[in-house]
Amino acid sequence: MQHLRRRRVYLTLFLALLLQLLPWSGFMLNIKPDFLLLVLLFWLLRAPQICNIGVAWTAGVFMDLINGDLFGVNALAYALTAFLAVMYQRRLILFTVLQQSGYVFLLLFVNQIILLLLKTFTGSEYFGWTYFVPSISGILLWYVVLHSRLSIHSMARQ
Amino acid sequence: MVVLQPLQVVANSPFKLYGDIQNYFITQASLRHDVANLQKQMMLQGVQLQALSSLKGENENLRTLLEASKVASQPARLAEVMYMGRDPFTHKVIVDMGATKNVLPGQAVVDAAGVLGQVTRVFPYTSEVTLLTDKELSIPIQVERNALRAIAFGEGRDNTVVLPYLPANVDIKKGDKLVTSGIDGIYPAGLGVAIVDSVRTNASSPFAKIVATPVAGIQNHRQVLILTSDTNNFVAKDIEQVLSKDANQSNKAKKDNSSRKHNAAP
Repeated sequence: MQHLRRRRVYLTLFLALLLQLLPWSGFMLNIKPDFLLLVLLFWLLRAPQICNIGVAWTAGVFMDLINGDLFGVNALAYALTAFLAVMYQRRLILFTVLQQSGYVFLLLFVNQIILLLLKTFTGSEYFGWTYFVPSISGILLWYVVLHSRLSIHSMARQ
Repeated sequence: MVVLQPLQVVANSPFKLYGDIQNYFITQASLRHDVANLQKQMMLQGVQLQALSSLKGENENLRTLLEASKVASQPARLAEVMYMGRDPFTHKVIVDMGATKNVLPGQAVVDAAGVLGQVTRVFPYTSEVTLLTDKELSIPIQVERNALRAIAFGEGRDNTVVLPYLPANVDIKKGDKLVTSGIDGIYPAGLGVAIVDSVRTNASSPFAKIVATPVAGIQNHRQVLILTSDTNNFVAKDIEQVLSKDANQSNKAKKDNSSRKHNAAP
């Protein structure tokens, strides 16, 4: 069972990475949520023994490779966000879907702020509130998926 | 980037398939319409081309009379845009030609209307093009109306370029066309870059704030042209000439000095 779940976690992470790789452009690129981080957070809250901070860091390294950014920027942001997620993991799983979504929204936001800080160090410029739109679309996606109970029944049950 | 190339191909495949299917079902009527249009365009451009070739000959003659070096033409190659860069902070696109097709970093990328940007990184099968609206890219330009030279910087947002460091009384008006000046040796002279949007002056600043919109379709392109930059361009040659002249002169001066000393010694 444990083995099967492990495989399931890695498979979903891989699919999320593929979603990130799709050739998004224009408007869709601006509202595209961070699929990989959403899937990571899902497993960080439900299967912390399989998906831990190390996995988040590795996923971040892959994101760095994809984006061609300064190496380690995404890895650091993901690892820090993952740490914040597992810190309150035990309390969070007792929350309702809505409460959990609130915390996850905060995590997505924090992730983007960390990225923004790191990018500012390397000379990029903040270009307005639209930078945070992926957080909002991300949490909407999170809420819709969890509220539909699809994931809870089919994936999270052991 | 190279490691994830197979994954990228997998991720791109549904979109590629969609494009292929769309291509397959193009109607005959639209194709005929396109052909008619293209033929008309060809006729018109053919006439212009004839005039151009005679002008070219004349220009070359005049240049030899003036003893100016000749401007080399730069052959172009067609590349296809694969996807936009995913980083919202930068303005980059990935095109489907790389080191295997002899793309080099630094080559200029243009479309039919004007300059798009510059190749910044080259991978084996793809390369990254930084658009001219990116914050890190700057292009030496010239105002077409009065040949005033300046440098255009990408603003990093809103798809515009700015011309900083120009005095408040500078002769640039809204609607002026900015073209490449060609003094950098990367972009050939005379390519369209941008059209001035607004010129604002502020009493507290000695500089004018000039914002311009690129003429090339920065956001909406499938195909772009990569210009093969030649390292033997005339600017580089000129610089080399001046440098060698300087070196010769200083050598001569040294020799003169040493010979004088030599003469003075006995």
